[in-house]
Amino acid sequence: MASKGKLNDEFGRSDSYRVATIPLNYDDNKTADGRAKSRRKNPKKPRKPDDLDELKQELDIDYHKISPEELYQRFQTHPENGLSHAKAKENLERDGPNALTPPKTIPEWVKFCKNLFGGFALLLWVGAILCFIAYSIQASSVEEPSDDNLYLGIVLAAVVIVTGIFSYYQESKSSKIMESFKNMVPQFATVIREGEKLTLRAEDLVLGDVVEVKFGDRIPADIRIIESRGLKVDNSSLTGESEPQSRSAEFTHENPLETKNLAFFSTNAVEGTAKGVVISCGDNTVMGRIAGLASGLDTGETPIAKEIHHFIHLITGVAVFLGVTFFVIALILNYFWLDAVIFLIGIIVANVPEGLLATVTVCLTLTAKRMASKNCLVKNLEAVETLGSTSTICSDKTGTLTQNRMTVAHMWFDNQIIEADTTEDQSGVQYDRTSPGFKALARIATLCNRAEFKGGQDGVPILKKEVNGDASEAALLKCMELALGDVMSIRRKNKKVCEIPFNSTNKYQVSIHENEDPNDPRHVLVMKGAPERILERCATIFIGGKEKVLDEEMKEAFNNAYLELGGLGERVLGFCDFMLPTDKYPLGYKFNADDPNFPLEGLRFVGLMSMIDPPRAAVPDAVAKCRSAGIKVIMVTGDHPITAKAIAKSVGIISEGNETIEDIAQRLNIPVSEVNPREAKAAVIHGSDLRDLSSDQLDEVLRYHTEIVFARTSPQQKLIIVEGCQRMGAIVAVTGDGVNDSPALKKADIGVAMGIAGSDVSKQAADMILLDDNFASIVTGVEEGRLIFDNLKKSIAYTLTSNIPEISPFLAFILCDIPLPLGTVTILCIDLGTDMVPAISLAYEEAESDIMKRPPRNPMTDKLVNNRLISMAYGQIGMIQAAAGFFVYFVIMAENGFLPHELFGIRKQWDSKAVNDLTDSYGQEWTYRDRKTLEYTCHTAFFVSIVIVQWADLIICKTRRNSILHQGMRNWALNFGLVFETALAAFLSYTPGMDKGLRMFPLKFLWWLPALPFSLAIFIYDETRRFYLRRNPGGWLEQETYY
Amino acid sequence: MLAALVSICMWVFFQTLDPRIPKWQLDRSMIGTNPGLGFRPMPTQDNIESTLIWFQASNKTNYLKWVENLKGFLDKYYTPGKLEKGTATTTRCSYDQFPKNGEVCDVDVKVWGSCSREKFFDYHRNSPCIFLKLNKIYGWVPEYYNDPRDLPHDMPLQLKYHIGNITEPNKRNTVWISCEGENPADVEYLGPIAYYPDIQGFPGYYYPYKNGEGYLSPLVAVQFLRPTSGIVINIECKAWARNIKHNRADRIGSVHFELLID
Repeated sequence: MASKGKLNDEFGRSDSYRVATIPLNYDDNKTADGRAKSRRKNPKKPRKPDDLDELKQELDIDYHKISPEELYQRFQTHPENGLSHAKAKENLERDGPNALTPPKTIPEWVKFCKNLFGGFALLLWVGAILCFIAYSIQASSVEEPSDDNLYLGIVLAAVVIVTGIFSYYQESKSSKIMESFKNMVPQFATVIREGEKLTLRAEDLVLGDVVEVKFGDRIPADIRIIESRGLKVDNSSLTGESEPQSRSAEFTHENPLETKNLAFFSTNAVEGTAKGVVISCGDNTVMGRIAGLASGLDTGETPIAKEIHHFIHLITGVAVFLGVTFFVIALILNYFWLDAVIFLIGIIVANVPEGLLATVTVCLTLTAKRMASKNCLVKNLEAVETLGSTSTICSDKTGTLTQNRMTVAHMWFDNQIIEADTTEDQSGVQYDRTSPGFKALARIATLCNRAEFKGGQDGVPILKKEVNGDASEAALLKCMELALGDVMSIRRKNKKVCEIPFNSTNKYQVSIHENEDPNDPRHVLVMKGAPERILERCATIFIGGKEKVLDEEMKEAFNNAYLELGGLGERVLGFCDFMLPTDKYPLGYKFNADDPNFPLEGLRFVGLMSMIDPPRAAVPDAVAKCRSAGIKVIMVTGDHPITAKAIAKSVGIISEGNETIEDIAQRLNIPVSEVNPREAKAAVIHGSDLRDLSSDQLDEVLRYHTEIVFARTSPQQKLIIVEGCQRMGAIVAVTGDGVNDSPALKKADIGVAMGIAGSDVSKQAADMILLDDNFASIVTGVEEGRLIFDNLKKSIAYTLTSNIPEISPFLAFILCDIPLPLGTVTILCIDLGTDMVPAISLAYEEAESDIMKRPPRNPMTDKLVNNRLISMAYGQIGMIQAAAGFFVYFVIMAENGFLPHELFGIRKQWDSKAVNDLTDSYGQEWTYRDRKTLEYTCHTAFFVSIVIVQWADLIICKTRRNSILHQGMRNWALNFGLVFETALAAFLSYTPGMDKGLRMFPLKFLWWLPALPFSLAIFIYDETRRFYLRRNPGGWLEQETYY
Repeated sequence: MLAALVSICMWVFFQTLDPRIPKWQLDRSMIGTNPGLGFRPMPTQDNIESTLIWFQASNKTNYLKWVENLKGFLDKYYTPGKLEKGTATTTRCSYDQFPKNGEVCDVDVKVWGSCSREKFFDYHRNSPCIFLKLNKIYGWVPEYYNDPRDLPHDMPLQLKYHIGNITEPNKRNTVWISCEGENPADVEYLGPIAYYPDIQGFPGYYYPYKNGEGYLSPLVAVQFLRPTSGIVINIECKAWARNIKHNRADRIGSVHFELLID
């Protein structure tokens, strides 16, 4: 069972490889003596993204096989003196720094240009350019050209540039969060050169350097060990296995990854010290190759990006179609072509929701922030929503589903299995701590234990304290500390006089202590180890306070207990003790550990203790939530199938009552091969079996089993599993922490890296980082992602609605020859002014129902913007809004003298500067300036009435199904939005000077009112629609109007 | 349903409107209190952006176009009866006799001198008549420049002199008209100007305009007696009253047109 990350509990793998590669000071590409560094070497071979085999491919090196002398010769180095400075410099110039080539990043200006010309921006640029063309033609043909077109062109260009800068800024801000991860303490390495010990930055290491590593260091490059004093390395960042492995100078295995005399770049030394020769650097290291593979993988578009592209195409299509159609119509109607171009611009401006993309970005940012506060750090904004559409989660076990902390789960003594408390906050069951059986067991667990708490952790709860020592001993230590109190003082009272540490051949550990009872001069021998080995050495068993002969019956009881605990996936240890007789072993007796001069057989068996890395408290709930949310949770772990299954069962990944093929076989007492695989809903698949499955067979497994556990998988197989799930059309989230996970993280629709245990390569490949490594945080993320998808729909529905009252004035202007009811500048005021805050505020909207109780959206059918949304926004609410606008327009015209019938066909005289005496319905004659003032007042009023009908639109967009009475108005951001847009409209209308700047004129209070009945109508209309929608779920109305 | 809603709103709204009295008047309306001037003949609909009066005196078909244009405009002045539908009461007004309630003043076509339709408004003799009218604004009452000692300094000398020459004080209750070339060169090309009626303005008894049945705007015919041919002359005419401000760019209180005679 893994105990990875136990050394790095604070924050990330603080000493990961990127750190070594990023200098604190800016790298000016100069060597220390001022000469230019050589160019960085090109990656040796282009890596094919799909070349998965390369991962598994044996490293083609022989450095571990050759004799040390040959090694020194090859690198022209010396074990004591190291390289010469000259040679080191030469190597550095030849090979470049010992750093991974950072993944290819898109240059900033390209990113900027993408923001500047992507999406609607292109359409607006066309508009702006048309404006400039129109202006320059006018300027060259008319003496006093109106500045309108120039002005509008500048405004349009400014809008595009500002929104471009805005989204660029947002983008770079979210990538800055990542930068903070990278810029941590630089890594230094101790190097011997010309006989001198130097401390260099790790990136200055070169091939052949002799380096010293000690516990706590990160291995600075791939090295061949030449001297080792108990070095142990944690290879988890590379292989996913976190059990410390010892490293020595001996060549033990053909496979470079298995042999003991190689240590790899970016792994951690956890114990001991060693000296080694650098055999490969930077991109050529094992880690470098994997990182390179990951960066070569193609990730594809996120679902939300696809949705937005789809939407942009839709809107652009409509805009171009309408624009061109009316351009042609205008030409047919004998308009001057320049006028037709101006209509075209107007239609484009009216059609494009200029503020929408910024709104989407802000909404996503808000959610990303909210998620960050819930421990989900989102690297890529669009990933926010991807998580919401996730339909399969491939989760790691260790650390993600579990606490990543071995904990004593059960004890067996007095022929009874006692459950210990494994919860994080010690809220579970308590057990009797007074029985003699427990006391004996506790004494062994306390004394036969080398683990100690690290210093300086006084305030930390016992379970969270850091411990020096191996995971099981730490578990025992914590358990005893909880049960007995101060373990260290007990140990002091029972002075250790001799010890045989655990080794893999004996599989036990023995220590001999003086007795704390001053009346009892006997030494006590305590032993723990693999239960069957311990039992072999025992003659008696301690039960119920009495010592009994270990007969077959007792052995049977032992076996049952052992099997039962083992079946729970727990690691079981046996405990026994023996009181050494004083006659043979008086106080001061010299015990010899190397050649035991004390009995190791015929001991007294006391009991068993079993440990597990228990699931996190929140995980079962989270898994259940995922299940009700239609998300399949697949466990992928390197652990044993039994442990994996036990954890899967306890967290609900395999739900109660569901059996695997093996379970069915066992229940029916038939061979596994006779079980119909379709009957089993659950499956536990061993990594070695997975290797033999064809992709079709894997598909079958994924399709027919709802609850799957992959055990003993190499992290590479994760990639295969992810691809399998994606073939099924699922949107896959993958969690991972090792470097080897990074291809899978990259391949997944959303890769989730672990903030605490994760390596930097995995964080780089991931789209999201779980700061607390907790699976439950993913579920919160899913919830937020789904919510934002719903809310984006609402936001877009809201924004699009106002397009109709924006376009229709132009159409009426062209077709009915009426004075223009709404100008382009006022349209921009709506799209970029009054509509922005309310649209963003919809991101704060609460979910209408339990969004975690419905299946994930189907990316093929459930679009962000579908026909129903468009038809609701454009066809229905938009029409009412347009009616409101025109009504206000006609009211103001009529009240000033132009009755509606008078307006039709009046456009030419109206817009002619030459006509200084246009007659209205009351015989009054209007100068050009006065009627333009009237027209702009109408624009302002039309604008204000759109704001007023948008009130109702905003309120109805709050819900897609529920009544507003049910939803309430508790969204204060939205309420603020309502006030804000109104205040902004009033500001634009009444501020002195606006008549010059934006052509907005003050309105009479009465002119705010005519839109109100329409606003009310929108509200009532949609409430009614939603009432019938709820009454007839799935009915015609829902199919036609529910977006 | 939407149509019904719009109809209801429209209907309710129309109940608040009076067919003869604009809801908002003067400053409360966008029309304001500063009338502009209109001129006739105007270029036709196809050339609506233009203010150029361009004709060839030697070419009858050409100038007749303008003459017909004017005739059409003046039709109602020559035969005012056409407008009346029984209720209108047209009276002859004078400076001593303002119209009573419900009455409108007639416009005498005989005072236009040589600017009559019988004389083709003198277009054929290269001294065209342009008719000016002050924009009607419901309820607008002019504040006259009726004191010859208190005239604005930017008023043309000719007009100041003219006002000073009027002996009957109530005849000074007139909205005065002056026309000039816009630039010194234009003044030179334009030559002498004659105004009809002699009062050179719109008599005060036509105001205020109350949208009365049969009301006709008073006109001033401006005759350019000897304009230079073959050159575009920019002309600006202004109406003068204390409550008329002038702004060439906005064309309020004034009107601009060009004259080109081939």
